[in-house]
Amino acid sequence: MIDILILFIAASLLLYVLLGGSDFGAGIVELLPAGRFRESQKQVINRAMGPVWEANHMWLILIVVILFMGFPAIFTTLMTALHLPTLALLVGIVVRGAVFTFRHYDAIQEPRSQRVYTWLFGLSSLWTALWLGIIAASLNRGIINPATREVWGAWFAPWWGLYPLAVGVFVACIYAFLASIYLVGETEEPELKRRFVRLAAWFNGLVVLSGGFVFLASLTERESLATTFLRNPLNLAVVALATLLFIVLWVFVAQRRTMLTRIVASGQVALILLGWYVLYAPNALITAVGPLNFYSEAAPPATLRQLVIALLVGGIFIFPSLYYLFRVFKMSHRTDSSRSGRG
Amino acid sequence: MDNLVAARATMAFSLGFHIIFAAVGMTMPFLMSAAHCLYLRKKDPAYLELTKLWMKGVAILFAVGAVSGTVLSFELGLLWPGFMVHAGPIIGMPFSWEGTAFFLEAIAIGLFLYGWNRMNPWVHWATGLAVGVTGFTSGIFVVAANGWMNAPAGFDWVDGVARNIDPVKAMFNRAWPHQSLHMQLAALQAVGLAVGGIHAWLWLHGRAPDLNLKALRIAMVLGAGASIIQPFAGHFAGESVARLQPVKLAAIEGHFETSRHAPLTLGGLPDVETRTMRWGIPVPGLLSLLAHRDADAEVIGLDRVPREDWPPVLITHVAFQLMVAIGSALALVGVLWFWFQRRGRFPRWFLWVLAVCAPLGIIAIEAGWVVTEVGRQPWIIYGIVRTKDAVTPVPGMGYHFGLFLALYLALATTTIWLFHRQIQALQKKFGG
Repeated sequence: MIDILILFIAASLLLYVLLGGSDFGAGIVELLPAGRFRESQKQVINRAMGPVWEANHMWLILIVVILFMGFPAIFTTLMTALHLPTLALLVGIVVRGAVFTFRHYDAIQEPRSQRVYTWLFGLSSLWTALWLGIIAASLNRGIINPATREVWGAWFAPWWGLYPLAVGVFVACIYAFLASIYLVGETEEPELKRRFVRLAAWFNGLVVLSGGFVFLASLTERESLATTFLRNPLNLAVVALATLLFIVLWVFVAQRRTMLTRIVASGQVALILLGWYVLYAPNALITAVGPLNFYSEAAPPATLRQLVIALLVGGIFIFPSLYYLFRVFKMSHRTDSSRSGRG
Repeated sequence: MDNLVAARATMAFSLGFHIIFAAVGMTMPFLMSAAHCLYLRKKDPAYLELTKLWMKGVAILFAVGAVSGTVLSFELGLLWPGFMVHAGPIIGMPFSWEGTAFFLEAIAIGLFLYGWNRMNPWVHWATGLAVGVTGFTSGIFVVAANGWMNAPAGFDWVDGVARNIDPVKAMFNRAWPHQSLHMQLAALQAVGLAVGGIHAWLWLHGRAPDLNLKALRIAMVLGAGASIIQPFAGHFAGESVARLQPVKLAAIEGHFETSRHAPLTLGGLPDVETRTMRWGIPVPGLLSLLAHRDADAEVIGLDRVPREDWPPVLITHVAFQLMVAIGSALALVGVLWFWFQRRGRFPRWFLWVLAVCAPLGIIAIEAGWVVTEVGRQPWIIYGIVRTKDAVTPVPGMGYHFGLFLALYLALATTTIWLFHRQIQALQKKFGG
């Protein structure tokens, strides 16, 4: 039972990063100077994200529901110790979702308001990505202390520091990298395609740099990644493979094999997440007083059974519908941009 | 600001904000699908125009509803960890089903909004209907969780810990049927009337008369229909509350002393200090009759529980009176609607009435939730866990409240502004 739930959490987080993450990445891309591509880029992103962003966002909700039903102690510890970064994350989620929709459905499309929407969309996307990374990094630092009520120690120290910030930047770079790679296949316009390829190359570099920065920043932590992560041969293999795949990726990009580039880039990100999972599993949190793991903190069996039933039965409906959604919007090569949902 | 008060204010405000968008998400897709169906069958372009107009409304409101709902799912833990740590395993089940329905809703809305000319027209139509069906279903599920807070079931409370947890029993708690029936009807009613009211107002101002009359006729099927049924559902809810939460009923009615042949007080303000109702009109025996179907039945008063276990009586009573007053007026409006429809024409004054009624259903929903939630205090799980014991230890909740107040007010203002612009664009297209 618990294994199935861990699997669901891991898979949901992966899908949230790959799908939801690339939606945030598109916002980050729109923050950059775009010159004459400003308008066409916006249209492509509207068309690419519009039909799927709500569904992509759902993976996060799924994680929250699994946590509070199946692992309540983990959920409440997290929501208490990481109250502030979670709040920051939520503000980003609210602004991003609302503004993206407002931009598209504003009945009067004028440059001034559109500029404000785009600016807010980009800023909130970057903001949300940063805070998700900060939260992820804070889970396992061993600083969360459920017993303390001292203001700094209880509510700030768990997420404060260079390392969480570095992970936040890393996540933002990954998001923007994924978005750029995915966006290449969303347009037929050669110049815009070239722009997204160029952006993907830039963010590829930034992912490597910020990844290195994460390792450096971890030296300031109680346990640096150099001692924990790199000592594990599986983790080393994962990082090496993810890095090597960059070569494969750019071969496919050069050959314009859109679907394959998407798969390889997603695979790289999956590998990075896998490395992270392997490092800490089956612990969900490492607190100052020891780890909280999924097995010891699980809800009673009757609850877990109902949760698994809901997920499996739900999955019977959700996965075919999702497949249909992506088939309609992502696999048919129609480029009738004039009819993009505004009808 | 006291931390508990601030946390409660934040929760109340978040729920009160979200419930409007949730109600729209549960109802408006049905209106949209009805217009869409009429277009596909009659090929009248006015219905297509209407479908797309409503679709834009659904898109905007759904997005705000989805993100504010996300906030709520986190806030359960951010504000009430002492509640979730007990309640999660017991009452997570309806949330997991709600999550499933919501996921399907998110997929369906993507398909519908962007699926024009990409799939078979009737398949496309069905995706729009699916938005309504899944939204409506998720509403039913999530009310089960609230029902459980009012009528806890499916566990044994031993030394401050829940044992023998049975999530199925918890989900099928005794408050779920009346609460969800009442709420789902309220959503249909409030949104039907709000949409109808807006189109009545536009019609009165001579804008796109054909379109607005068509819109009005569709919206009022739900608005007027649900308004007529609602008082019966409300009565059913009242009887259930009398059985399950007599103290809440006592607060609702400002009923201080346990008595037989208890009067129902119309209006009035309860005075907690003197334990009397002031300025109300008492109808002898009516409360006993309504609560227990017997004019001489005993109705439990607030005197049966210690003072510290009383809910805030004034707020509960006033909110209830407001809800019932609005509900009664809307039931009359509903009857009038069908009467005028039979006669085949709507007098101008009646359309003005409809326009004025546009916000009333939503106000009644807010008032109703105030009754449910404030009337349950001081408990977060009725009779089991107190709200003050569930609140987060994180200090400075006042800032949290201020932040979300500002954020949601900005969102609300922008949403209203966007609707204003939709109407402006409509005006440009059709004149008037």
